[in-house]
Amino acid sequence: MPRSFEEVVLPHLDAAFNYARWLTKNDGDAEDVVQNASERALRFFSSLRGEDARAWLLTIVRNTWYGRFPRRAGGAVTAVAEEDAANQADVSLDPEAQAIQQQTVEQVRGAFETLPTDFREVLVLRELEGFSYKEIAAIVGIPIGTVMSRLARARERLAGVLTTSDTSGGHRGLP
Amino acid sequence: MDCHEVEGLLSPYLDGELEPAVSTTVRAHLDTCSACRQRLANLESVGRMVRRAPYYQAPDRLRARLTQSRTRSTTRSQLLAWAAVVVMVASLSGSILFVRSSTRAARTVDPVDVVAQEVVNSHVRAMMGEHLFDVRSTDQHTVKPWFLGKLDFSPPVTDLAQAGFPLTGGRLDYMAGRPVAALVYTRGQHTINVFVWPEASDAVRSPDARAIRGFHVRHWTHAGMSYWAVSDVNDTDLDQFVHALQQ
Repeated sequence: MPRSFEEVVLPHLDAAFNYARWLTKNDGDAEDVVQNASERALRFFSSLRGEDARAWLLTIVRNTWYGRFPRRAGGAVTAVAEEDAANQADVSLDPEAQAIQQQTVEQVRGAFETLPTDFREVLVLRELEGFSYKEIAAIVGIPIGTVMSRLARARERLAGVLTTSDTSGGHRGLP
Repeated sequence: MDCHEVEGLLSPYLDGELEPAVSTTVRAHLDTCSACRQRLANLESVGRMVRRAPYYQAPDRLRARLTQSRTRSTTRSQLLAWAAVVVMVASLSGSILFVRSSTRAARTVDPVDVVAQEVVNSHVRAMMGEHLFDVRSTDQHTVKPWFLGKLDFSPPVTDLAQAGFPLTGGRLDYMAGRPVAALVYTRGQHTINVFVWPEASDAVRSPDARAIRGFHVRHWTHAGMSYWAVSDVNDTDLDQFVHALQQ
């Protein structure tokens, strides 16, 4: 069965954008990266042999980002308006529960963005995309052992940030 | 293994990424050590928080732009492909072509593989916003009766919120040449589609795993029903889901 680009790659466009958005922390840059990456993906489409098109596409996204945005140390500085970042409120919740959920989403987003990019990306790939360590190692281009230790440290850091923002009244990231 | 060693392994333990033997040792330690159990619980709670981070969706204009540029470059690559064919035909001898076409004809297609493709296609169509829900409810007592009179069987519907996979609704779908029930569950930001229909044979299949185009697929039969689960969640989560559904 011949597989087309639409059938194989486009279903993973959200994953590509989400990953790029967390790497760049900015809508415009993320869009540029994904556009560029998709054009490359189209060019290299015939080289896709394995099953996992999502991991393949995300690897291209990462390489595109890496090429276009030379590493910024720590990657902690960017202030952008995030109006629609957390607009997927769960309608089955009552307003109070919704507000709490919204606040948590904002807190987590804020905490995520304070992490160095290295930490943030492994968390996104593991927790939001559900990739295995082996897949993450291939996408990021690091040994599996490094994935393991980086994830453990990222979680530790994030736990630290989240608990601090809790005790300070949870105001982090709120408008 | 002491607490210090175990502490360093809790994160991969939680991810199901340890060698089975190591994992067993960690579990044995956790059985006896409440401090480490607490550390694991904290780690799990961080995981739940993390999964609430926003999942940014690709803007429609980006999708549209890509589809357009795709149409343009198809024409270009088709030209190239034709050029390649011309060169090949000119340079290859006829006998090689015969051998190639006869091996292709000998390949057989497993009907289960065909259904697996259909299952993934349906999941993709639903995820691309075409049609995910006919009935949208987290209540199994709303979803199950909805299928009444629409199907010639009654699909088992269980909410798995307790296991971390809340039911979000269902729809009618058409698959393997018959109307089937599609149940929709979520795991964090991910959607799991489960397709259910009566199984013609009495054979009981234990879950069979495959990966198609980046989606994970499980297929099993139970109590006269054929089940297909498809999602982009990771293998461990999907296995856990299947396990919960089989309880």
